[in-house]
Amino acid sequence: MPDAGPSTTKYRSTFRTLEREKKFRNPPKDGSTVPILNEFVTPHIESFDALFDDSGLPQGDGDGRGLLSLAVRDIGERVVFDGTGQVGTESGQSGWGNRLSFWIEQVSISKPRVPEKIKHANDIRVYPFEARERLTSYRGRMSVKICWKLDHQGEVERSVIKDCGLVPVMVRSVRCNLRGLSSADLVKKHEEPEEFGGYFIINGNERLIRYLILPRRNHVIALIRPSFVNRGPSYTPYAVQIRCVRPDQTSVTNSLHYLSNGSAMLRFSWRKQEYVIPIMLILKALVGASDKEIFEGVMMQDYENTFLTDRVELLLRSFKMYSLYTGDQCLEYLGDKFRVVLALPEDWDNLAVGAWLIQKVVLVHIQEAREKYRMLLFMLRKLYSLVSKSCSPDNPDSPQHQEVLLPGTLYGMIIKERLEEALNQVRNQIMLDVRNQEPSVDFFDARYFNKVLSKVNFDLGSKMSNFLATGNLVSPTGLDLQQASGFTIVAEKLNWMRYISHFRSIHRGAFFAELKTTAVRKLLPEAWGFLCPVHTPDGAPCGLLNHLSRTCRIITAPLRVSHLPALLVAHGMTQNFSPSIDGTKNLCVQLDGRVIGWARPQIAKQLAMNLRIWKTEGRHDVPLDLEIGYVPPSRGGQYPGLYLFSSRSRMMRPVKYLANSRNDQIGSFEQVYMDIACTPEEIERGVSTHVEHAPTNFLSILANLTPFSDFNQSPRNIYQCQMGKQTMGTPSTALQHRTDNKLYRLQTGQTPVVRPELHNTYGMDSFPNGTNAVVAVISYTGYDMEDAMILNKSAHERGFAYGTVYKSQIVDLKDAKGASRSMSAPTLHFGLGHDIRTEPGDKQHWCCKFLDLDGYPFVGTQLSPGDPIAAYIDDTTARTRFVKYKGDEVAYVDEVRILGSDAADSECQKIQVTLRITRSPVIGDKFSSRHGQKGVCSQKWPAIDMPFTESGMQPDVIINPHAFPSRMTIGMLVESMAGKAGAMHGLAQDATPFKFSEKDTAIDYFGEQLLAAGYNYYGNEPMYSGITGQEFAADIYIGVVYYQRLRHMVLDKFQVRTTGPVDPVTRQPVKGRKRAGGIRFGEMERDALIAHGTSFLLQDRLMNCSDYSTAWVCRTCGSLISLGYDDIRLGEVVIGPSGIPKPTGPNGEYCRVCRAAAEQEDERQRKAMAHGNNVSNAVKTDVRVAISSVNVLGSTSKGGDLDVVAVPYVFRYLCAELAAMGIAVSLEVH
Amino acid sequence: MQANAELEPSVHIRELKKDRVNFVLENVDLAFANSLRRVMMADLPTVAIDTVEVVSNTTVLPDEFIAHRLGMIPLVSANCDEAIRETRECTCDTACEYCAIPLSLNVACHDSRTLDITSNHLQYDPSVFNPQQESGAEGEELTKRVDNFGHPVGKNDPSLPPVLIAKIRKGQELKVRCLAKRGLAKEHAKWSPCSAVAFEYDPHNKLRHTTYWYETDPRAEWPLSDNAREEEPPRDDEPFDFNAKPQRFYFEVETDGSLGPQEVVMKVSKHPSASCHCAESLEFINM
Repeated sequence: MPDAGPSTTKYRSTFRTLEREKKFRNPPKDGSTVPILNEFVTPHIESFDALFDDSGLPQGDGDGRGLLSLAVRDIGERVVFDGTGQVGTESGQSGWGNRLSFWIEQVSISKPRVPEKIKHANDIRVYPFEARERLTSYRGRMSVKICWKLDHQGEVERSVIKDCGLVPVMVRSVRCNLRGLSSADLVKKHEEPEEFGGYFIINGNERLIRYLILPRRNHVIALIRPSFVNRGPSYTPYAVQIRCVRPDQTSVTNSLHYLSNGSAMLRFSWRKQEYVIPIMLILKALVGASDKEIFEGVMMQDYENTFLTDRVELLLRSFKMYSLYTGDQCLEYLGDKFRVVLALPEDWDNLAVGAWLIQKVVLVHIQEAREKYRMLLFMLRKLYSLVSKSCSPDNPDSPQHQEVLLPGTLYGMIIKERLEEALNQVRNQIMLDVRNQEPSVDFFDARYFNKVLSKVNFDLGSKMSNFLATGNLVSPTGLDLQQASGFTIVAEKLNWMRYISHFRSIHRGAFFAELKTTAVRKLLPEAWGFLCPVHTPDGAPCGLLNHLSRTCRIITAPLRVSHLPALLVAHGMTQNFSPSIDGTKNLCVQLDGRVIGWARPQIAKQLAMNLRIWKTEGRHDVPLDLEIGYVPPSRGGQYPGLYLFSSRSRMMRPVKYLANSRNDQIGSFEQVYMDIACTPEEIERGVSTHVEHAPTNFLSILANLTPFSDFNQSPRNIYQCQMGKQTMGTPSTALQHRTDNKLYRLQTGQTPVVRPELHNTYGMDSFPNGTNAVVAVISYTGYDMEDAMILNKSAHERGFAYGTVYKSQIVDLKDAKGASRSMSAPTLHFGLGHDIRTEPGDKQHWCCKFLDLDGYPFVGTQLSPGDPIAAYIDDTTARTRFVKYKGDEVAYVDEVRILGSDAADSECQKIQVTLRITRSPVIGDKFSSRHGQKGVCSQKWPAIDMPFTESGMQPDVIINPHAFPSRMTIGMLVESMAGKAGAMHGLAQDATPFKFSEKDTAIDYFGEQLLAAGYNYYGNEPMYSGITGQEFAADIYIGVVYYQRLRHMVLDKFQVRTTGPVDPVTRQPVKGRKRAGGIRFGEMERDALIAHGTSFLLQDRLMNCSDYSTAWVCRTCGSLISLGYDDIRLGEVVIGPSGIPKPTGPNGEYCRVCRAAAEQEDERQRKAMAHGNNVSNAVKTDVRVAISSVNVLGSTSKGGDLDVVAVPYVFRYLCAELAAMGIAVSLEVH
Repeated sequence: MQANAELEPSVHIRELKKDRVNFVLENVDLAFANSLRRVMMADLPTVAIDTVEVVSNTTVLPDEFIAHRLGMIPLVSANCDEAIRETRECTCDTACEYCAIPLSLNVACHDSRTLDITSNHLQYDPSVFNPQQESGAEGEELTKRVDNFGHPVGKNDPSLPPVLIAKIRKGQELKVRCLAKRGLAKEHAKWSPCSAVAFEYDPHNKLRHTTYWYETDPRAEWPLSDNAREEEPPRDDEPFDFNAKPQRFYFEVETDGSLGPQEVVMKVSKHPSASCHCAESLEFINM
């Protein structure tokens, strides 16, 4: 829970350097360095803990069982028979034979341990650092206890423990070996003192399940969607919907659709298939209600309302056609229809199947049929109210009707489904055996059952690993979710800010990303205090990927609320079973989607107030996290009622309750009906009910860290939230124990002079993200145009913004060429073979500069592209082979990790090399202040050329004044002043937003400080040109601003090419930086050159530098593709059949088309001669050539008249392709 | 300002301390004063560690970063232009005693406390030179050197805290061999003898080179610098003299210790870029 109460410590204007260093050197032995970091991941960790019986979470109303136990109970038993349904001697009267039922009794997951075959380990526990460094997964063994029982006299229940493989375990959860360790102990386990867990380690990567927004559970929302009309004939856009959640947190969504004939249909889905049932059928099936009962239940004495009477009458009438009158009839009808779909035990009758269906799909959050019935009536009333426009539709995009899918919940849901599937497979296997009359089938023999179990895939571990590694959900039911992929993300440790924001990010759902409408992305006022309005990316995921506000909590512990109905009844609520309640005068009181009573509006309001006082003061055992949503009656507003929520997964946040000045927790549902003052000054007597603990609580952690963000134009703060996460900072303090693919590190990070109070609260000083730079706002030499910035070369030489990139390269001999596929001893071994001269001297092999005798690289060696990074000996060839460094820039070997196998019983086949690449700032690197003011370094001026102040101070960075007017980042200007004053007086300046007001301005506060330090009140200083020494005509705004170096660097992006690889088909340059390709000179660029008339340049770009080629073209037929060669040597000619030398080009080129035509002509003429027919004019063949007859040279050139032309190669390719389609292209050569 | 042009250039030293000098330069033109500033910052040779050979580095800092830190350490460079040769002009193979100062650092921590490796650990160590390599032509450089030439500034001076290079814990060590070479700050800032040069003229803005931006009252918002006391404030009715040129320049030169402040100023006077402006103008500087 991010600090609930108001901050008690006053802001201290010190940097706490000693305190910090002391803490870093000696991390606390009894707690955490930064406790708040553990609190903000609680939803991740506690939701995972909740899976287990020993979670340590409060019991709530339940029996304290974990979600997995509840899930296993909900799965229930599967039943098989050894009969085939035919009555026989063996198979009993019904023909089903012996009835074998089996179920899962218990699920357990152990903490990660070394494999059992290792006996000599000092510590059998496996810690996360090992998984991270060895590039393996952090997993614990899962096993289930499967019980089975034969329904036969004398048979007892039998059980077997089945191994389910290794399941990934969340770090710092109750199943993690780091659970409860203090910072000091964490450091001993090679973690950072701040390590807070909440993620899984899969193949060495840290991955987490991101929060996902779901519809609020157990609450009926009214919807009007035009698309509902397409569901079938007589469907209308009106519906009410409820997402019902079982105790094991799996959910079923029930929708009630209004039909144009006045009745309603209940819709649900079963294994991704949708079904609709008339609501009357359900109502009758639930409690066997008579028509009158239903009529009264819906009307609730509102007989004047003819709209309602008409609908209910229609509803009742429409059901007459089914001729079902009693509850049992309805159940049997349902059972009959759904028997095939549900695959329940064959010996169940339709009644039981129908009852089971109602139990499992209709309002699953309620157990009792009568309560389901009451809730369905409420839904009907809300639906009719919606249709009659007396209540408004609810907005499903509003956080009011939303909750969060927690990682642990999703994990549990998947495990449940996998277990269910496994159980179904066992059933199917046995049924298959029975049907095939396998001789081994013997229900009395435990061996048979065990054999079936061994055939079924119970390896949940690999499935869970796969889910976490890909984020793809493989599910036959879809888990009542709208997406099947994108659940998990990598927790990138690019820098600390990015890392921690992963754990607070919350996604609206992949489904909404494809939506054309932008309504879902809208920032709604209901989100205030729960979702940060600032911290969302711009671009495609804008508004869909949000981050939780700093103080927003997600409830993970179950609450005790079973006594609430009685308590409310004692204070004036009418009980829910009262027969005659006037629906027009009473409001429904619901607790977690159950109708618990009715009350008049005044009483309901009083009850809400009482509950709030009780919960804030802790009286009557009302839990503080209870959400009390009193929706007052209104004309056409939200459907009124008193809705209480105590379930998990809700978003709540702390505020101060004014009535008793206590801390209150409010939820997103109730907040809509509250009046919360942002500051104590804003409290309006009689109106305000609450006041914020701090006006900045609605911002996310990152947004809170932007100094003076209240002075900036709002989009700039959004940009800063983005750029803060792209900064080259300090990713980790345990760098030597990390194997990330890429890490960026700023070597000389500093704590900002100007920082908000929360900078300390969140321990940001352990992970500095930038440097305090002296910044002058001046247009100097023109190199600072258009967001470019000038860097002081001398400052750069002294180490300003010096950074390093760590990359890792893995050498795995298993994947190398020549590795043996079998599991026997490997044939490749790291090391230098006898073919390598290793003794020092002139004859030493060149690789000895890089590699040691063991084949691993020396730590600290400089590697250039193509240098060897490892060597191995191939047993089969007895030769040494090298693995090359694959990067394209100079790197240093920082660390070499030799990775063994899990059981540590085989030869090393894998190493991981961490490479260090130095990245001193160069022209083209990107920098930014903390106000969305990014810029690219355009020039590095030596100190003597930089402008200077009278005191000889020279800026580290020069930015252009034009960066300010349109962007209005006044916060940066204030930071500059504050930084300057802070640097002069040695103060850590408080930059918390909303601290200043119109009367007490920041300018005056920092102006006075500057004046006291001998500077101009407004932060300006006269400056001198470094080049001429003359004073500038204008005074210059110069101060200290915290600058971040962003990870976008030219060295990763530059692309140059003169010649290089070409595409084999088109012979044009390939694209892509990685392949040394070119940059496309596109249509618009071509247009520009045409417009300029620079035809030479145009030809150069499009032809000479691209796919220039020369080709032979036949002047006669104009063909490009008919080139043929005669094999001739110099001075020789080929004599054709007619004895005339065939005309060819200098190397024997000829046109095959023309020659063939000519030869054909010859042949014809000869034949004509032979027959005596003098055909002077040949039969006119269909001329395909589009050449004017002037240019046709006649048959004298039998073989065409060839010429060389320069054409783009693709054109030749095009001609060939066209020829394949029967289209001839003919060129006219002048 | 015909009259002023004939005036002799003069220097008035207001304050001289170990690491700084504050003086007023009069009767020179702006270009000269500025070139003086620029020369002091970037054109005076000093010695600084230039090549580092890492023998062993088990500290938490990477090699190249240690090398950078070593380069930034100010070394005593008194009389640098005579006491050492430019390596590029020396006839030796790679480096020799005439063109380089051999330094080495060999620190290991055996205590369970954190050990600070500082510039005090840098030792003069001729073994850094490769004995097989030929040294340059004989010269007088060695005789012109002060005793601690090329040593870190403030070494063996308890009043000056040494420069921190790295912190190591038990079991870590740093062993490097360095060569300090002569160079100019034009090439790299580590060769700059000055940490800052303050430069001001016309504190009352009588010449109106600049304009003071103000909200209400420029005099209240713009504090006068200390140098303003040296000059007469303009009277309200004083006419603007648009022919006036800056005459008095207020300097404060702070050095990093590699060269003393007086040596910096002395050297400047002999520097060709300064002398070309007015050959003997600064001959009078005599401290």
